[in-house]
Amino acid sequence: MFLAWTEMRRAKTRFGMLIGAIALLVFLILFQQTLQTGLITSFVGAIEHQTSPVLVFSTDGRRNLQSSSITPELEQQVLAVPGLGRAGRIGQGTLSVLADGEIAGAAVIGYEDARLGAPETLVAGRRPTSPGEGIASESDADAGFAIGDIVRVQPGGYELRIVGQARDMNLQATPTIFTRYSTWEDATRSANPDATTLRPNALGLAPAPGVSDARLVRRVDALSPDVEALTRSDAATKAPGVSQVRTSFLLIFLLYGLVVPLVTGLFFLIITFQKASSLTLLRAIGSSGGRLVQSLLVQVVIVVGLGLAIGTALYAPISFQRIGSIPLRFETGAVLLWAVVLFALGLLSALVAARRVLAIDPIEATTGAGVQL
Amino acid sequence: MSTATSEAGTGPSAGEPSALRMDAVRKVYGSGENAVVALDHVSLDLAPDEIVALVGPSGSGKTTLCSIAGGILAPTSGTVVVGGRDISGYGPKQLTEFRREEIGFVFQSVNLVPFLTARENLLVVDEIGARSGAPARTRADELLDELGLTDRAGHLPGALSGGQRQRVAIGRALMNDPTLVLFDEPTSALDTKLGDQVTQLIRTEMNKRGIAAIIVTHDERIAHYADRTVHILDGVLTDET
Amino acid sequence: MRLALREMRRRPGRFVIAVVLLTLVAALLMLLGGLLDGLIARSIGAIEAQRADLVTFSSTAERSFLRSRIDPATREAVAAVPGVARVGGLGVLQVGARVPGNGPRDLVDVALFGYEIAPQGVPRPPRLGEAYADRLLEDSGVRVGQQLLVGPARTPVEVVGFVDDVSYSGAGTLWASAATWRRAQEQNKPNAAVASGVFQALVVDGTRDAAALARAVDEASGGATETVTVAEAADSVGGVREQRSVFNQIIGVTVVIAIVVIALFFALLTVERTALYGILKAIGARSQTLFGGVVLQAVIVAAIAAAIGGVLALVFDALIPSGAIPYQLVPGRVVTSAVSLVLAAVAGSTFSLRRVLRIDPASAIGSST
Repeated sequence: MFLAWTEMRRAKTRFGMLIGAIALLVFLILFQQTLQTGLITSFVGAIEHQTSPVLVFSTDGRRNLQSSSITPELEQQVLAVPGLGRAGRIGQGTLSVLADGEIAGAAVIGYEDARLGAPETLVAGRRPTSPGEGIASESDADAGFAIGDIVRVQPGGYELRIVGQARDMNLQATPTIFTRYSTWEDATRSANPDATTLRPNALGLAPAPGVSDARLVRRVDALSPDVEALTRSDAATKAPGVSQVRTSFLLIFLLYGLVVPLVTGLFFLIITFQKASSLTLLRAIGSSGGRLVQSLLVQVVIVVGLGLAIGTALYAPISFQRIGSIPLRFETGAVLLWAVVLFALGLLSALVAARRVLAIDPIEATTGAGVQL
Repeated sequence: MSTATSEAGTGPSAGEPSALRMDAVRKVYGSGENAVVALDHVSLDLAPDEIVALVGPSGSGKTTLCSIAGGILAPTSGTVVVGGRDISGYGPKQLTEFRREEIGFVFQSVNLVPFLTARENLLVVDEIGARSGAPARTRADELLDELGLTDRAGHLPGALSGGQRQRVAIGRALMNDPTLVLFDEPTSALDTKLGDQVTQLIRTEMNKRGIAAIIVTHDERIAHYADRTVHILDGVLTDET
Repeated sequence: MRLALREMRRRPGRFVIAVVLLTLVAALLMLLGGLLDGLIARSIGAIEAQRADLVTFSSTAERSFLRSRIDPATREAVAAVPGVARVGGLGVLQVGARVPGNGPRDLVDVALFGYEIAPQGVPRPPRLGEAYADRLLEDSGVRVGQQLLVGPARTPVEVVGFVDDVSYSGAGTLWASAATWRRAQEQNKPNAAVASGVFQALVVDGTRDAAALARAVDEASGGATETVTVAEAADSVGGVREQRSVFNQIIGVTVVIAIVVIALFFALLTVERTALYGILKAIGARSQTLFGGVVLQAVIVAAIAAAIGGVLALVFDALIPSGAIPYQLVPGRVVTSAVSLVLAAVAGSTFSLRRVLRIDPASAIGSST
């Protein structure tokens, strides 16, 4: 332990650079992890955290609430499906609103039944009880969507008053406001007077007791190819673009994750060769191979540990920022997961160097051959 | 016949410029109470083709003397003139250029570049300098031939014997046609017979070209190949023929 | 510097390590760059192809086609502005299309554009009910002559040809006459029907300086419009600005990582060569010659890594099924990634400069075994 630490102190630059490289890699990995989460949540958070266990879109909606539209005929068909407990309409429109003195886009989601399409939990305030009230996302509070704020639909000027706040409730990376269905109708008509009949974008369904969500989904799908039913979690994971985002980031994580053990393992391999003569000497005067390997592994732990600590410290302030409309968050789970993964990979990568250390023959101290390359 | 002063006798004959002329050279490391005097008013004069054996125990200052004569170290005081060139006040850059052009070194641990062949080790001298190309290659081949290494020219140092490596080092030292060659314990890693052979070779090559040389050694037997032996002890020269 | 080159040839092992690491970094740079280029191309192709200087939205639309409406009166006002040469209407409907031969729930995302002034690479507006299809749609089974059923109302649109590099917001596009677009809009999005003569935006071609013309247009409309350059309109497509910014930052940090990795491994190499450099300095080598050798080696290592990384990127480009991820390998990107890596190599190797300078030629002499 003493040996390990002393060597590191004497060679501050090289160990410093290694720790620096690892810290930057950790920072990038954590940042991108949070970016991925934030990205996906900002697009489908509203779907994932609303109350309806089953959602029915029109097939033409391609699992996108914005694009989906339920005709009266389809609605009738769905309402007649066996095993249905409750049903409620969900309307959605993306409107220009005046918030905090600036024009912004807002995704308004109107629900008929609070148990089918409203935000699951509120972090502050209450649900709408009167016309013109809405629940906004916590992350948009600073942009003029805080409790008590009034946003005005443009054109038309219809007023929406924020009375409640929910977390991770965005749709399509836009400030999102949940309202009652009639409020949504009024807001939409204010913006587009040409629209006479408004159709719901989706239906929220709850199965009858004894019927599973999955079975209800199958039954609805069997009604007509023009509707697509999804459980809440499927609606979030199979939403357009989500799998692309996940695949892209997965590739990125794999590559970055690979760099850390490679840099660490190769570094320790090289310095093991460079220390050949002193290692041989230590073995000759009686230090066991195990003790030398232990010293090596201690250094790996220190290096990876410091790299993780510094990388996380760099990541922390960034994790509280926003990227455009995507709020980031400090993900403790991700930090812990990557800490475990990188420690394991780092220690594994040092095994090559450890093998070389154990292969040292103390007799070489007298002949001066040291570690064989 | 030793004198009390630190002056070496018989040097160059009048009219001939010395290969090396050191005048009252002092080298002091550190300062005040911790000052170590490595060389104390050393004066030495070498004729253009003279071979001098510098004999002394470890710590006597012989390495320092060679370093100053060869332009690796600058003296604290005194003058150093090599081949008519006063290098006493040279800065590091000038000394580097001077060494490149006028000095040849044969180090104690030979110190060939391990990943270059014998021939390439000689050509390194050209590479770090003027880079003349073909003339350098010709010269290298000539030197290797004279040193009996033509058939080993394409071998790496690892594939050469101790004596062969020593000869390659000598070849490298001669590549730039130096005024002065410094040999630092050239035979310490060789057995008696081989050491003898190498020292004979040194003498032959130096005399053939009329190059001056200082051979640092603690081995008195080698000294008899030199024209003159100079003893050094605690930074001070004594003279013996 | 033959010495430096010979060392690489005769002792490749130590350099192979650096090459492996940097190849990984090069692959990362090109993957990130390719993702960015793919995302951007699929988002803004349709806008960048517009043969115009400016795009006019309604002022409350925040440059979103979806939220913008330009009525005939506003259009007249715009067309009357001095310096305006041509005005064309533009509208887009984003729906799913049913392609013959695909499954009942395998809809393809399309953006159906109604246009008047043809963008680059697109012919004049076709007849009613016809459209030119984005090459991107070919991967989804679209063929010339097919009748696509667009949207929930299944508006029939016949594909009469393919056009390239005109994608919009991640979807393949269909280019049709204004009438075709309006009909599709009315049938499929009754909540957002558009009357005759109404467009979502205008493309404006002018003879004056673009910025000045934009201001003049907005003034003439009495503040009802927001006019921007085509480039700004492209930038405003959802997510583009953020994507560019985020990806470029990640790429930047990755280049810094490359610098640190190179600095680290070349510092290790330099340490091993201390004795060798001492000898070379003793026989008269200048520090700059030795350091030049280090830089040369770093550059070669980076160049080799960039080459292998480039090959890997090409292989990757060929292997991924098109559409799986938005990846597009642009030659410019490969070149900039390679150049960044080489520059990082030069920067990283300078960390060894001090060490090379500090090596004392006197260390070569008098070293006793």
